Amino acid sequence: MHPILLSIAVCLGGMEPPSRLAVIRPAPDVQLLNQDEKPIQLSDYRDKALLVSFIFTTCSGTCPATTHRLARVHQELEKLPDLRNKVHFLSISLDPVRDTPEMLRGYRRLYDIESPHWTFLTGKPADTHKVHADWGMWAKPAPNGQLDHPSRVFLVDPKGRIREIYNLDFFRLPWVLEDLKLVLDEK
Amino acid sequence: MSHCRRLVSLLAFALLAMPALAETCLSPFVKRLDRPEKYVYVYCVDADAKDNDFLAVIDVQKDSPTYKKVIHQLDLGTSGNETHHFGFTDDRSHIFGLTLFSNRIFLIDVASDPAKPKLVKTLENAGGPAGLGSPHTPYALPGRMLISFLSSDKGGLPAGLAEFTNDGKFIRKLSNPKDAPYGYDVAIRPDLNRMVTSSFTYYNNYKNPIAKFDFKAFGSELVIWDFRERKPLQTLKAGLAPLECRWSLKEGRNAGFTNCALDHSLWVWEGQADGAYTTRKLCDTGKLPVDLRQSPDDRYLFVSCFFSDEVQQWDVSDLNKPKLTSTLKPGVQPNMMHVTSDGKRMYITNSLLSTMDRSDDFWLKRAMITPEGLKLDEDFVIDMTKFKTGPARGHDLLLN
Repeated sequence: MHPILLSIAVCLGGMEPPSRLAVIRPAPDVQLLNQDEKPIQLSDYRDKALLVSFIFTTCSGTCPATTHRLARVHQELEKLPDLRNKVHFLSISLDPVRDTPEMLRGYRRLYDIESPHWTFLTGKPADTHKVHADWGMWAKPAPNGQLDHPSRVFLVDPKGRIREIYNLDFFRLPWVLEDLKLVLDEK
Repeated sequence: MSHCRRLVSLLAFALLAMPALAETCLSPFVKRLDRPEKYVYVYCVDADAKDNDFLAVIDVQKDSPTYKKVIHQLDLGTSGNETHHFGFTDDRSHIFGLTLFSNRIFLIDVASDPAKPKLVKTLENAGGPAGLGSPHTPYALPGRMLISFLSSDKGGLPAGLAEFTNDGKFIRKLSNPKDAPYGYDVAIRPDLNRMVTSSFTYYNNYKNPIAKFDFKAFGSELVIWDFRERKPLQTLKAGLAPLECRWSLKEGRNAGFTNCALDHSLWVWEGQADGAYTTRKLCDTGKLPVDLRQSPDDRYLFVSCFFSDEVQQWDVSDLNKPKLTSTLKPGVQPNMMHVTSDGKRMYITNSLLSTMDRSDDFWLKRAMITPEGLKLDEDFVIDMTKFKTGPARGHDLLLN
């Protein structure tokens, strides 16, 4: 469409200009238990932006880096009163057999995570594995006794849509903050 | 910060700082192999287009009883697709197999059994939702696949790009700028937030025998994009038909390389202090340089020259003094290459396009990359003419 026509259409409220963060797909539902054994589902966080990660507490690979980088985002958000209550962090276990709610509580303590804005999730293996598959995630035993898995972090907008998927190697704090602001500023 | 957390943070940084094995010329978002390759996948066109196209699996484990044998042929279910380039998803669990004649995309599972890949899904008219055809380069993004298309859905111009989920659902189209209507390759440097795309020709031209090609209908543009914005920033000129795009692997070197097939040369694009990019010819090569590969240490470029039957090794450690250090004659019309993660071996195929091949002697060979240059591994030749369906044109290849 010609830029002038596009501007007119936008002004008339007929359509939104395309965002640089495309709608990748609806975020699949999650029905698991949090670290305090309370049932949680994704719709509990409707109207918030979510950063969804997949980790396991005994990981000696990329999970500590994932949690550490998310913690930096969390710390930065604490300095931004306009944003901090509008963003929630969900870390879903890739190893539900070992990651009991008690293990998740210990993991939170290890990372000094006391925030009500960061929830760790686990559940019955079948329920947890369904969540992994629905999100396009997987974990399988590696030769070193650990779990092999992709290291992705998902940005979910307040309407429950996946808008960005970050690779851990390129998970840059300023970029993530910009993306969070963008999806929270949308009507 | 507590003592515990400080320790955990240090561990996190230490793990991230560990040097990764440097398999080159894949999207930086693709999980790298953490061991030597066990299998070579070759994406094959049935040579007479009467039988179905397929993916061949060659066992390259030296201690295996089936070493150097084709251990599996994955039938793709249709013929005449011109199966050309294919690429891993970010988690290396699947391959997107693209086609130049049929607008099909094959989604192939290589995780369940890497020795026996399985066809999971075929996307018919894959570029249709974007009004595009001729899917050429698959380039993994986190959880998604970016694909460059060579044509519109009518077989002409403009070319463009589109993103898909890893299970093949269309996400969005990225339109080429008007002054760069051709498409070919795509490469991203996430740390610089820059993407580059290159130019070839379109289906209605390359579908003809090479003698009938319109050589005025090829592009010479490179486009620099703001990757996060998915927005074209600058159109640059290179030699005619700049094909593969390879960003320098060296941190801090804001530059990259392309092989200009119809200019018989390598060009470099370079970022300037003001953020703009410039291009210049780096060196002349052999005839019709069709593929370009990098050594893991960023020192060498390997260029396959289809018409002069050679693979050239260029030392590009000094961009002002590129030096031809080695030339290999592996046989007729060498084409796609793949360097192993340790930088010691390179696999080579020898079919370009069914409309451009001038020999029907198809093979997969291996070269050793030694301190003295490229040496052909005489002990490793896979004859690609002896399949039960007859000869096959092996084009792109991947290691797993």
